[in-house]
Amino acid sequence: MSRVLGDDWLLPVLDEGNREFFTSGRIVLQACASCGVVAHPPDEVCGGCRGRAFEPRESAGRGRVESVVVVHHPVHPALAGAVPYAIVLVSLDDVPGVHLVGNVRGTAPDEVEIGQAVRAVFSKAALPDGERLRVPEWEIVAAV
Amino acid sequence: MQGSAAVVGVGESEYYVRGRSPDSEFQLACTAIERAVADAGLRTSDIDGVVSYMDSRNDPMRLARALGLGDLRYTAQPFGGGGNNAAAAIQLADAAVSAGYAKHVVVFRALAQGQFGRFGQARAGGAGQVPGAFAWSAVYGLLSPAQECALHTARFLHDHGLDQEALCDVALACYANAQRNPRALRHGQPLTRETYHASRWIVEPFHLYDCCPENDGAAAVVITSGERARDLARRPVGILAAAQGKGPPFGSAAFQPDSFPGVFYKSVARDLWERAGVAPGDVDVAQFYENFTGPVLMAIAELGFCEPGELGDFVADGALEGPDARFPFNTSGGNLGEAYIHGFELMNEAVRQVRGESTCQVEGAELSLVVAGPGYAPGSAVVFAP
Repeated sequence: MSRVLGDDWLLPVLDEGNREFFTSGRIVLQACASCGVVAHPPDEVCGGCRGRAFEPRESAGRGRVESVVVVHHPVHPALAGAVPYAIVLVSLDDVPGVHLVGNVRGTAPDEVEIGQAVRAVFSKAALPDGERLRVPEWEIVAAV
Repeated sequence: MQGSAAVVGVGESEYYVRGRSPDSEFQLACTAIERAVADAGLRTSDIDGVVSYMDSRNDPMRLARALGLGDLRYTAQPFGGGGNNAAAAIQLADAAVSAGYAKHVVVFRALAQGQFGRFGQARAGGAGQVPGAFAWSAVYGLLSPAQECALHTARFLHDHGLDQEALCDVALACYANAQRNPRALRHGQPLTRETYHASRWIVEPFHLYDCCPENDGAAAVVITSGERARDLARRPVGILAAAQGKGPPFGSAAFQPDSFPGVFYKSVARDLWERAGVAPGDVDVAQFYENFTGPVLMAIAELGFCEPGELGDFVADGALEGPDARFPFNTSGGNLGEAYIHGFELMNEAVRQVRGESTCQVEGAELSLVVAGPGYAPGSAVVFAP
């Protein structure tokens, strides 16, 4: 599938903290190896126990829309053809304490509502160096 | 000692629509400082401290040379890249003169976005790849402060049964008050509820008129000790209390559940009222930094003026408009109506209210509040008093 914002829109520079999230085709977050606290976005010292070692925490990718806004003014010229688009904050059913920023595939922006259940879907993309990405996006699975 | 310092001079440049200033940002800064110093009845050579905020480009050494300042004894800026630290800058100057590190400190903000580019513009450079923490949002088209504040606002309105009219009421008040202020860029351009609702969406729930414009200009104040202030030309306006910061829990991003939705002002409010020894109901006039209308609503609640669910009534029926308002608010027009000088124009207005010199003067105003920049942490606020 194409990304909601188009295949030419910005992609991440991959680093240790985001590689799994953007390439694995699963929702993978950073958990502290000592105390298990999940940080998103990831950071270098655990806010729970000051630990410096981390491990992946996989989510089943089911969640809920916590907030939604509809962008009409394309602040970047490359998004002129993408507006209006919805930006959502998603909470995960199985990893509390985290909000993920995302886009919604398959539903008109003005039909996305707070409280709707969502599931993760993944759009294929490739970086200029050829590395393949699977960018997490969301689909609405049930009404409020 | 806290509360011992006073504002003894205010000044500003002319304000301009973004890109229309004939002067450079540095020249605007010098103009505002010169006028504040003159208002205090001081000479620029009396100034020995320089404070700004928001990563000011106007270096104190360059200002000292241009303005003929005296011995520089104190220069500082708070951490943080937004208008949220305007009151923290006042607090730094208060601390400096109260501790005796400097005698006359100028605090200012200057911007010429025509010269240096737009603050509120998308931070993404161009299509391609984006590194670091910004990637988590930029990849999904979350690029601007308007969009970030809208995500908080949308959920806040939803949770508390508030509608678009509450946002509209904030915008209408700023425009109405600007009609009384010849300095205001929206002077002569009144706003109606119909025009507000007919205006285009920037990012729902923000219409065009929910978003502050981008402007060029500079504003400055001079701060000295209360003791020294008594010898100067103008009636001193005391810094009753200032507060900056954010309380725990500290999420790793603006949207983490521990502080969502909100504007991160709960600990600032607690410290401010405790230090000032007053309650929200004692405030005579308030200036709230409105980058966007939504954060103003959240800040009114977090500062303790009403419960979130009461906000609709709190701002309705012109409750924020004019000198006789139920809640006198952004009396110069604020960021929306007067000019967006990253909120420092609100400081000048708050001081003028205590002096009795506002174009929308609240009769007998004594306690004068500025809430510097709701929506970004660490936030800051200050209460002025005679």
